[in-house]
Amino acid sequence: MALCRRCDAVLARYFGANAESGLALVCAAAIFFAIANLTPILSIDVAGIETQANVWFAVRSLQQGWISVAAVGLAFTTFLIPAVQIALLFWVLLFARVGHRPPGFGPIMRLLHHMRPWSMTEVFLLGALVAIVKLANWVPITAGPGIWAIAALTTVLALLGRCDPESWWSIARAVKP
Amino acid sequence: MTALRQSLELGLSLCRTCGLVVPRASLRIDRRCPRCRSGIEQRTPFSTEKTLAWLIAGIVLYIPANLLPVMHTSGLLGEQDSTILGGILEFWRSGDWDIALLIFTASVAVPFTKFIAIGLLLLTVRKSSRWQQHQRTVLYRVVEFIGYWSMLDVIVVALTAALMQFQVLGAAEPRAGIAFFCAVVVVTMLSALSFDPRLIWDRPA
Repeated sequence: MALCRRCDAVLARYFGANAESGLALVCAAAIFFAIANLTPILSIDVAGIETQANVWFAVRSLQQGWISVAAVGLAFTTFLIPAVQIALLFWVLLFARVGHRPPGFGPIMRLLHHMRPWSMTEVFLLGALVAIVKLANWVPITAGPGIWAIAALTTVLALLGRCDPESWWSIARAVKP
Repeated sequence: MTALRQSLELGLSLCRTCGLVVPRASLRIDRRCPRCRSGIEQRTPFSTEKTLAWLIAGIVLYIPANLLPVMHTSGLLGEQDSTILGGILEFWRSGDWDIALLIFTASVAVPFTKFIAIGLLLLTVRKSSRWQQHQRTVLYRVVEFIGYWSMLDVIVVALTAALMQFQVLGAAEPRAGIAFFCAVVVVTMLSALSFDPRLIWDRPA
């Protein structure tokens, strides 16, 4: 790990991964993302009526008149941006693995850099846990498979996130242009 | 430590997008990074102005975010509008002090820390202050890191509204406050991202 001599910021970090292990992580992320969005994260059963929630249900519940701007914000930060991140990383690493720079490499890397602060999967996980504790006082609430998928997705994205844009450039530099 | 020279003196420029260091003399007329094609600037143009503008917007939006209700609940126990602070108090009174503390941190402490920290950074940078430069750089990184956790309350309200849909027995709906709060998070993040931390180390010309 290289630190700035002046302010101790992390300048570079040994990632210990190449295109191959990166690709494996991205595939894992894609699978967890799919599970998190296809299965319920939380569900409630009251007198035989069951309601479920996951990322997409949460976004839908904010669609009310102009409050929908919050729905747009939530959709971007917990659904759209993580999805695009996973897709773009897959694209870049797939080509890096066979030794090529993918079409649109520069713009993709720029987009990935600018999207990073806006990906909020881990906040969603914490939000789901708070919602469990909050609602458990009144109703029987159960966590679905989705919550494990979100937790796993958070871990995998954090591992991929440790890898800063500079090291992705160096993965691509090692291969033929 | 004082012997460290700045890129200005060395004739180097840093691409803030891909991290490439480029000799300034080798930049073409369009001043784009040779590696990723982002525009390279010695210092982000109008950084303090943009940061201040977003900061003011954030503080203004924070007022309705706290005064307006974020959620409306109805059910057998009657109807109720709750604000962010009201929700925290309710958790506190019902004995869930840990959840109360968590939401208080994400929804009150983090935004306030951001307002004060960014304000402090702007003020000291304007005066080209050499006071605690190292600590102020760390402060900037903290602000960047804690920023998005404020989204917590938006997510909790959205999940609660998605789950509580049992008309008579209990239902929850989002209210205007949550939209303002979401805007506060986005706007204060834009404020922090607009700030160029290199300004902390610049000496007065």
